[in-house]
Order: sequence, then C-alpha cells, then structure tokens
Amino acid sequence: MTANTLTVAVLGAGTMGSGIAVTAARGGHRTIVRDVDDESVRRGLDNATSFLRKSASLGKLTEQQAEAAIANLSGTTELGDLAGADVVVEAVYEDLELKRELFGRLDDVVARDTLLHTNTSTLSVTAIASGSRYPDRVVGTHYCNPAQLMKLVEVAEGRHTSPEATKRSMAFLDSVGKTTVVTKDRPGFILNRFLIPWENNCIRALEAGAGTVESIDKAVVGALRHPMGPFTLLDVVGLDVHKAVAMRLYEQLREPRFAPPPLVDRMIAAGDLGRKTGRGFYTYDSTKSFGA
Amino acid sequence: MTVFSRVAVLGFGTMGGGIAQVVAGSGRDVVVLETERHRLDAGFAAVRRFLDDGVSRGKTTEAERDAVLGRLTGTTDVADLATVDLVIEAVTERMDVKADLLGRVAEVVRDETVLATNTSALSVTDLAARVSGPERVAGLHFFNPAPVMAVVEVVRALQTDASVAADLVSFTEDLGKAPVEVKDRPGFLVNRLLMPYLNDVVREFDDDLASAEDIDVAIRLGLGHRLGPLELLDLIGIDVHTHATESAYEATLDPQYAPPPLLRQMVAAGYLGTKSGRGFRVGTTEEGHSR
Ligand SMILES: NC(=O)c1ccc[n+]([C@@H]2O[C@H](COP(=O)([O-])OP(=O)(O)OC[C@H]3O[C@@H](n4cnc5c(N)ncnc54)[C@H](O)[C@@H]3O)[C@@H](O)[C@H]2O)c1
Ligand SMILES: NC(=O)c1ccc[n+]([C@@H]2O[C@H](COP(=O)([O-])OP(=O)(O)OC[C@H]3O[C@@H](n4cnc5c(N)ncnc54)[C@H](O)[C@@H]3O)[C@@H](O)[C@H]2O)c1
Repeated sequence: MTANTLTVAVLGAGTMGSGIAVTAARGGHRTIVRDVDDESVRRGLDNATSFLRKSASLGKLTEQQAEAAIANLSGTTELGDLAGADVVVEAVYEDLELKRELFGRLDDVVARDTLLHTNTSTLSVTAIASGSRYPDRVVGTHYCNPAQLMKLVEVAEGRHTSPEATKRSMAFLDSVGKTTVVTKDRPGFILNRFLIPWENNCIRALEAGAGTVESIDKAVVGALRHPMGPFTLLDVVGLDVHKAVAMRLYEQLREPRFAPPPLVDRMIAAGDLGRKTGRGFYTYDSTKSFGA
Repeated sequence: MTVFSRVAVLGFGTMGGGIAQVVAGSGRDVVVLETERHRLDAGFAAVRRFLDDGVSRGKTTEAERDAVLGRLTGTTDVADLATVDLVIEAVTERMDVKADLLGRVAEVVRDETVLATNTSALSVTDLAARVSGPERVAGLHFFNPAPVMAVVEVVRALQTDASVAADLVSFTEDLGKAPVEVKDRPGFLVNRLLMPYLNDVVREFDDDLASAEDIDVAIRLGLGHRLGPLELLDLIGIDVHTHATESAYEATLDPQYAPPPLLRQMVAAGYLGTKSGRGFRVGTTEEGHSR
C-alpha cells in the first residue's frame, strides 16, 4: 500500500476476524488481531497466514506480497495494545452487550478519531454504537464470508454516525480492494434482508410439496441462474446459522416470513446441520468446508 | 421413436420464437402460427438474428443455423396444424385469447395431440377446462430466453393425463433441457419463489433501504447472482411482473404476492423497464453509492 498505511485492529480472531485481518494486511495495513486468549489469537493468525501462503502457491499473490502481508500481522490478548489503531474492526460474537461493552472500553484506549467498525450481521449499528461515548465514529461494515475472498462490504450508518466517518470508512474499504454499498441501519441490511425470506420461502415450498430438494435446486439454478440452489446454499451456511440469523431478524421485524419454518427445527434436532455435519438437505462424504 | 416429431408453436413473439428455435434445433419440424404475415416475418427475423449472433460468437455454425431455419415454417391458418403431434401455445398472456385459439386448434388436430401452454401466470387447469379433451392439456413453461435457459417446468393440471406429463418430460430432455415437474399452482415453482423476493425488494427500495444500483450490486457480489433483482425486473418488464404477481395474489390472497404500490405506479407512468427505456435501473440518472 503506497498512499496511506494505517494501523488496523481486528477484534475477534474467528471466521470473520481472521478473514478481515487477511484483507487489511494484504491491503498494506499494519494489522493487530485481538482475541480473548492466546490460543484463539494463534488460531486466527495461523488461519490468516496459511491462507496468504496458499494464495501465493496458487499464484494469486507473489511470494513477496504474501510475506509482506504476513509481516503486517500481529496478535494480542491485551485491549491496551490497540492504542495506536486508526481503524478497529469488531468481529466478536453476535452479542449486543458484548459489542457495546467493547466499544465503551475502546473509548479509553484509542484516539478520539479512530474509526470503530462493527461487522454485525443482524444487530443494530445504532444500538452497538450506543456503547461508545462517541457514536459518530461507529460505522457498520458488513463483510461477506469468506471475507478474504468476497469483495462486497455493506456499509450502514447508525443514527449518530457522522458523514465524515462514513467517508473515511469507505476510503479505507476501497484501499483494501472492497466494493462498498451503502444501506440503512435496518435488520439484515440488504443481503440478509432478502436472503432469509427467500430461503425460508424455498423451505416452505419444499414443505408444501411444490418440489423436491433436487428439483427446487435444479429449477433455481437452471431458470434463475443462481450459482447454487437454495438447499445447497443452506447446507453450506449451516441450518443452525440460518436459524439464528432468521430468528434475530424475526425478533426485530416481527414478520412471520422471517421465522424459520418447522423443518429447520427438525433438521437441527436430528443433527442435520449441513455440510459441516455431513448431512443436511443432502448427504456429503466429507465435512470439509468450502472456501479457499 | 421420437416423442412428438411434428410440433406446432402458437405465437412467434419473444417466447414463441425461442421455443420454435429450440424445438427445430432438436431436429423436429416446426410450424409456427401467427395472426398476420408480417408478424411471422418479424419472428423469423428474430430467430435468424439470434442464430447469426450465435454463429459470430462461435456457439453454432452456419450449417446448423440454416438447418434450424429450414425446419421452421410459418402459417396464419390454423388448418395447417392438422398433422402435428404436439402444440405449444405461446400467445398473448390472456385467458380469453388462449382459450379461443386452443379451442380452434383442438378442432383441427387429432384427439390425442397434446396441447401445451407456455403461460406463466394463468391456471393451466382453468385453460384445460375450456378445451375439448382436457386430459391432453398441460403446461410447458420455458424461461426467457428459451434457447439459453436450461430448465423447463412441466405443469400438470388437475386433468392432465399421467402419460401426457411423462411424454412432455421425455420431450424436454430430448430438447437438451432439464424438466422440472410441478403442480398447477400460482407461479408454478420458480415464479412462486421469485415473485415474493422481487416484491420484497421493490418495497424496500421504495422505503429507501438503499439505491437501486447498490441493491443490485449487493446481490450480485454477495450472492453471486448474474443479475440483481431490480435489473432483472427491468428485463422481465415491470408490467409483466406486476400482472403475474397480481394474478398470484388473486389466486392465493397471500400478501407476499400483492404488488407493492410502486409497481402499479411505474406501470401507470409507462416505466416498464428495458422495453420502454425506463425502469428501476434503465434510463434513470440515479447515482449509486457503490464503487
Ligand atoms: N460467519 C459469517 O458468515 C458472518 C458473516 C458476516 C458477519 N458475521 C458476523 O461477524 C461476527 C463474528 O462472527 P464469526 O462467524 O467470525 O464468529 P466466530 O465465533 O468464528 O468468532 C468470534 C471470535 O470472537 C472472539 N471474541 C469473543 N469475545 C471477544 C472479545 N471480547 N474480544 C476479542 N475477541 C472476542 C471469540 O473468541 C472468537 O474467536 C458476528 O457479529 C457475526 O454476526 C458473520
Ligand atoms: N416473456 C417472458 O419472459 C415469458 C416467459 C415465460 C412465459 N411467457 C409466456 O409466454 C407467452 C408469450 O409471451 P411473449 O413474451 O412471447 O409475448 P409476445 O407478445 O412477445 O408474443 C405473443 C405473440 O402471440 C401472437 N398472437 C396473439 N394472438 C394470437 C393468435 N390468436 N394466434 C397466433 N398468434 C397470436 C402475437 O401476435 C405475438 O407475436 C405468454 O403466455 C407469457 O406469459 C413469457
């Protein structure tokens, strides 16, 4: 990165945090990953490092680029180590109190003009921002999974987000190669807002005998040219994850379309969560998850 | 033995042209019925353009193009359909037009000739009830553009004979398409799923969730769809979607199908999408935020 090297702190070294860390480090920014214990930090950094090495072996990055990105990465368990961050990207558990509390503690650690980004999928950016004494600097930046590969980031302003913070956030996301869209702080933003009722409707059509798992997937792929049919996608996402997201939207929007249909509960009860358990709508030989 | 070796296509518009081309491409002779000579000419010209484009992009050869065109004949006289084994109706989406035409066709073809309709939004069962020999009536729902789209819905009306549905399934496979057997329910399968999604997007767009461009970009990049929902609506035609979802609403009283007010307003204003030069994305000066 030539123009502007920033210090980026990523909170949470899980699935999303490690992917976001890859994105920031690859974009040329000093990147500090923070999780609650050494093992989680190490696991997140290991995942990020091995992804970057694999990118080099696949020819997506040169060896030098990969090594430079890896050199940009560091980890910590101490919140205090994030003091010099220009941008903090929060990707901890989807828990409002946890996120609010973290933003409150960050107020005492980082500079006044440090941007606070939340990667929440379903919570309100405004509600999370209320944990900070300076909600004007809090911006929703919703990455897609896997964050290191997917270009899209949905940018959502809370009620008190300043236009300046949004502008700087978009410039940061641009610097790491993301395409941004701007959406209101409403449950599900754009993607989950439309994806969840779509998936629920496909499940309801299945329950209603409008088609089979195979025929519905085939029809959607063949007639709408989606890359995956709804049931193939649900198996990738995981039925438990689908239910969790759907329930959170349902609780906020109070519209039955967002509520997961009964088949979801039955599949979860049977342990058929999708690819990760070897069985969902389809059965799988291997439980290896997708992505690079 | 080939299933349905002689086929008639009724209507040489967008869908009739695509369907006739696909069927002729499978080696079958096709006779296309239109109301007037100049419409036949327009239909032939459209098929030729499609195939010429295929030739220039290396998807097909000149010999194949000429063979396909050579298997197509046009007529404006229903009597010329007497010897066909299968009729695929793709005329204007109106029950009275379809029922009247199929009634006249039923009088000239053999009793066992299968009558298939490409309707998107009308009930195949209702249509079958208006035709003599309703057990030979079924839906054969192609998607636009028919030569490109891999799936065809084979719709069983309440009256449809099981062997008719089975023959249509084999026929579809023989065309190189994947058949999906569905019941005669509003929207069949694909549109049943698609319409609530599109309506949902229109409502949220009208409620300023995001710009039209940003909604499309999010869906394309986030879900890997070829087209975002609003550019898709422009292509389908705002009037066509509004009519289809209105019909589904009338048939089910399910609010998911109720057309959002913005759709009716756009139709009233003549903003029909690509074909009218103005829609959600086409012809707008809106600046999206995406970059
Ligand atoms: N997984 C997805 O597909 C996806 C997509 C977009 C957004 N999101 C959102 O991203 C966030 C993270 O999701 P995930 O799938 O990566 O979860 P995850 O469970 O894989 O990772 C969460 C990590 O946060 C850590 N953590 C918990 N409390 C912490 C704290 N106080 N400080 C630092 N780290 C802490 C945990 O130890 C864990 O490593 C959630 O808000 C989720 O809704 C997830
Ligand atoms: N356009 C789509 O995306 C699409 C997709 C699937 C199904 N459909 C269905 O296919 C059918 C045709 O749609 P289209 O888009 O091709 O319409 P279109 O307007 O392009 O073509 C209809 C053609 O039918 C002709 N016609 C009308 N009455 C006739 C008659 N009595 N005899 C012979 N020809 C007659 C018209 O002259 C016109 O050329 C409709 O039922 C529609 O719902 C359309």
